[in-house]
Amino acid sequence: MHFNSKDIDLYASQKDYVDTAVVPLIELDLTASGMKASAGASEYLQSLTVILEKQFKGRILLLPPISYVRAADRTELGGQLKKELSETGFKHIFYLTTDPKWRSVDDLDNVLWLPAIPTGDMDQSFKKSVMEDQLRQVLPLFTKEWTHHS
Amino acid sequence: MSNNRVSRRQFLGYTLTGVGGFMAAGMLMPMVRFAVDPVLQQKGAGDYVLTDQAVADITEEPVRVDFTFEQVDAWYTSEVTNSAWVYKEGDKLVALSPVCKHLGCTVNWGGDPEQPTQFFCPCHAGRYEKNGQNIAGTPPLGPLDEYDVQEQDGFVAIGQVKPNTLV
Repeated sequence: MHFNSKDIDLYASQKDYVDTAVVPLIELDLTASGMKASAGASEYLQSLTVILEKQFKGRILLLPPISYVRAADRTELGGQLKKELSETGFKHIFYLTTDPKWRSVDDLDNVLWLPAIPTGDMDQSFKKSVMEDQLRQVLPLFTKEWTHHS
Repeated sequence: MSNNRVSRRQFLGYTLTGVGGFMAAGMLMPMVRFAVDPVLQQKGAGDYVLTDQAVADITEEPVRVDFTFEQVDAWYTSEVTNSAWVYKEGDKLVALSPVCKHLGCTVNWGGDPEQPTQFFCPCHAGRYEKNGQNIAGTPPLGPLDEYDVQEQDGFVAIGQVKPNTLV
């Protein structure tokens, strides 16, 4: 489900079934040299989370991407997110990111780090097959988490 | 000069009739146009979306067929890709929607290794028969939707979604 009012109505009535939150974490790099790569990574991560949501619509709530500047303290941000989410009924929380700095944050469970693929210059059908390959890498991580802790 | 002289009275009569006629036509035409509008309405060109799946390659085993169309959402036009599970029932093509009737996840054919001849929803283990019938005891409450489907020049074309007619 997306984070919009229509889906949230459905979520509120089906809380038992929607037990997983997905949080995309996106680093903003606005320097002249880093901007394009940052935009590409953001585009990639958002496409991926959208097709992930399509596959698992009935079980996950896809939150809007959390964007932060390069200097942001990941540990602190992660702690705040974790606290906010712990007050909800979600049993499983996945963080998806292309930012390698999250790998050293030990506080968060289920941080899925993916190398950003610059899909912006690909044509539609090639991009689609690349994204589906990426999705196939991620899906088992979700089903594994669900079967182990359900 | 012609021999039939037009009198002032006749001239005024012709002129008024002509002008009055134009005015009446100007008022009536739009009304007639509104009245017959439903007949003139164009059928949307996107009734059937052609896919790149050849009909000859379709067997009784459902395969996933993707199709892309343009969707206009207020001022934002986007390309949307949907898929359908297509198989042959005798000679007839059948296309089922992959959207689970429980909460809208995407179902897979044979997604559960223990039930290779059923559709399986990975979210809450919902299962469906090949014809889309939901299996009692699993979360879904209704059968999978069906698409209108036809063959166009040897390829599968997918139409509108409709409630399941097979069960």
